[in-house]
Amino acid sequence: MKLKQLILLPALLALVSCDGLFGGLYDEPAENPFGFVQRDDDGRGGTLRIDATSYTRWTYIDLQHRHIDTANITLGQEAPPEWDFAIHHYDVKTHDGTAAESPFDNVDMAMELEGLVFVADADSQVVIDMSTMMEGYLGYTPSPVNPVLSRWLDVDLSTMPPIYTPSNKVYLLRLSDGTLVALQFTAYMDESLLKGIVTLRYRIINDQT
Amino acid sequence: MKRTLLALLTLLSALSLPAQNTTADTLQAKSRLLNMVVVTATRTPKLIMEVPVVTRVITEQDIKAADASSVQELLQTELPGIEFSYAMNQQVSLNMQGFGGNSVLFLVDGERLAGETLDNIDYSRLSLDAVQRIEIIKGAASSLYGSNAVGGVVNIITHTPEKPWSLNLGARTSSLGEGHYNGTLGIANGRWNSLSELQLKHADAVHLADTGDLRTIFAHRSFNAKEKVRFKASDRLVFTGRAGYFFRQREKSTEASDRYRDFSAGIKGDLDLGTESDLMMSYAFDQYDKSDYATASGLDVRNYSNVQHTFRSLFNHSFLSPSDTSSTLGTLTLGGDVMRDYLMSYQFTDGSHTQYTADAFAQWDWQPTSRLNIVAALRYDYYSEASASHLSPKINLLYRCSKTNLRASYANGFRAPTLKEMYMNFDMANIFIIYGNPDLRPEVSDNFNASVEWSHSHYNLTCMAFLNHVSNRITTFWNQERNGMLYSNMRPLNITGLDLSASARWDNGLGVRLSYIFSHESLTDGGMRASSTRPHSATLHIDYARQWSWGRTTLALNGRVLSAVTCDEYTSYSNPTQTEEITYPGYTLWRLTLGHRFDGGWALTVTVDNLFDYRPDYYYNNSPATIGRTLSVGLSLDVDQCFDDGKEK
Repeated sequence: MKLKQLILLPALLALVSCDGLFGGLYDEPAENPFGFVQRDDDGRGGTLRIDATSYTRWTYIDLQHRHIDTANITLGQEAPPEWDFAIHHYDVKTHDGTAAESPFDNVDMAMELEGLVFVADADSQVVIDMSTMMEGYLGYTPSPVNPVLSRWLDVDLSTMPPIYTPSNKVYLLRLSDGTLVALQFTAYMDESLLKGIVTLRYRIINDQT
Repeated sequence: MKRTLLALLTLLSALSLPAQNTTADTLQAKSRLLNMVVVTATRTPKLIMEVPVVTRVITEQDIKAADASSVQELLQTELPGIEFSYAMNQQVSLNMQGFGGNSVLFLVDGERLAGETLDNIDYSRLSLDAVQRIEIIKGAASSLYGSNAVGGVVNIITHTPEKPWSLNLGARTSSLGEGHYNGTLGIANGRWNSLSELQLKHADAVHLADTGDLRTIFAHRSFNAKEKVRFKASDRLVFTGRAGYFFRQREKSTEASDRYRDFSAGIKGDLDLGTESDLMMSYAFDQYDKSDYATASGLDVRNYSNVQHTFRSLFNHSFLSPSDTSSTLGTLTLGGDVMRDYLMSYQFTDGSHTQYTADAFAQWDWQPTSRLNIVAALRYDYYSEASASHLSPKINLLYRCSKTNLRASYANGFRAPTLKEMYMNFDMANIFIIYGNPDLRPEVSDNFNASVEWSHSHYNLTCMAFLNHVSNRITTFWNQERNGMLYSNMRPLNITGLDLSASARWDNGLGVRLSYIFSHESLTDGGMRASSTRPHSATLHIDYARQWSWGRTTLALNGRVLSAVTCDEYTSYSNPTQTEEITYPGYTLWRLTLGHRFDGGWALTVTVDNLFDYRPDYYYNNSPATIGRTLSVGLSLDVDQCFDDGKEK
């Protein structure tokens, strides 16, 4: 290698690598289609992906009409007339339904319901403001929450970063009309690790309509 | 603990009976010390005893004796006043006598490192496997090194192979589930020489406690590969090329890992211009990336990239004494650098930012008499995005008596606001937003230093007093108007202290070094005690070496003693009047290393770390992440020595 080439080499490297090299090593962030992203062939089940990143929003899911709606808590927006269950960040509530935690880990398997205890929603509160966390408290608003369905993810905020532990269990949701639906929450973040993107499998077991 | 310490000292005393070859070893060690050449203090080679700034050198022998697995461990073992602890999200954070990671400049063969996390470079990039020595300067050094050298410089200098070939293979494992495997190949052939390094490390997760700020240390693994090639084009011109790749993965949870990568390359030309002049020109590329790896999807998404291109030049000219041309009257050093600094970060809402920096500096190293040395320097730095410029002067004096060196210095330090500090807009998990501030002023320090060094026969004593007046330190404060944290300049603060060191090495192979630092931080106009710098810290090193017919045995005891520290911390981010007093407990950690180098190139090292089985009652972020006494065993082979021995036979 001649002297001139040795001197030109750094200039060439600097030109081709201004903003860095090896971008091809990395993946693009996941695209997040929201809503009913997959439907089983028999039409009785599928997969839902919900944007639950906001602490000020309830996302209402109507399984029978395959419809999703949202309501902002701080703006005082009302729930839609028809819905089956709703998600606020990692909290879950039902529309006058009850829910039970099963020992199963797959919504598609045959389930024995005997011995399961179905629990109705209870008056509780949900976090709407995290900005005071470093001062030792959070901003809450009163809201009914289903205590069983909300067990799908344990969030330990006593350490930073928080520790998230999914239960991975199948939950059985009995709607107000008696329809029985199996729910399994499969992710609390998207494929690029963005938290608050909730994915769940559902399967209608016993349709009363 | 006292009984164990007494037993160890008795063992060392018993071993220190007259032994074979130890006098020769001690003389060799002394000669090494007296002839040691350092470059960091003046950017020109000078004997350590003749350098006008106190320079602490950690030699290759010290590194082996300490059996440290990382630079953090080594610096903490060798020097008091240095504490590496964890910050939020288990990121490593440095405190060196009141200066954080962004105020202490780390260099590898004189080159900066790109990338940072919570103001600290990725220290795991710094391999110890091919290090010849580490030079440490405490106190401002911005007149030669520019921004970030407000609190000091740590310069890691790697080997240049001289033997036709050398190959070292090493493996180390510990009872904590750590593994460290390395290979270093050196080749010297006529005009060429080459140094190749490979290093693989892994560590299992360590559960400390069920409660506390620190609970489980994440498992991690890393890979580091480096190549350095030196080509002597002529008697006057030498080129050095280098390239490196680094990868680290931290297992944060079963679902996600943090990944860190670095790509580096560089070329340097050293030209001897004759007539006592030389010129160095170099180009360096360094890219540090962070990405999130999702276990389930396999997606590896980059969210941070810092890319630095740096061009440097350095010219030295020595003026010969008119009366005696074999001695120099003084040396003039001129230099300049240009850097392009690109930063893409998940902490920006607008993607990326680029900053150009340029500097020029001059230094006059004057030797008016054989006893007196005066070094003065002035540097000008310019930062495009910060629209900041700064002049950094320094003056160092050295007066040499027969056994005593007196040193005094003033140095100005500065740190320009970084792109992160200017443009951050980061939502902390819906808790608060951290805002950057483009109007930040550069941090400035005035460092005054005076020291006395006395050396005689087997003994060396150094006493240094220092004062750092730091203005405009950059940190985050709650901003009521923006309802979030905002990068802002702090009120001035003073860091004063005393640095004492005593060492001795006797002909029977026994060596002792005791170092102590007192450090005190205070805001010049009063105010809360925000500093968590421990006021007292000390290190003790005792080593003994003995040559046998079947090899050489070394025994080393290293201890660190850190005092408790009490400081005030905010209990409310939005109300700066609400604080509470917190005391972080002091602690002491001791390490015993037994090594034996067999004839034929094999070496075995056994280390008991945390000898007295210390465990914190509560794991704060600045508690030592230890679960008690641990054992590590290392095996190393100098393959070339096997063949050398064969030839001798």
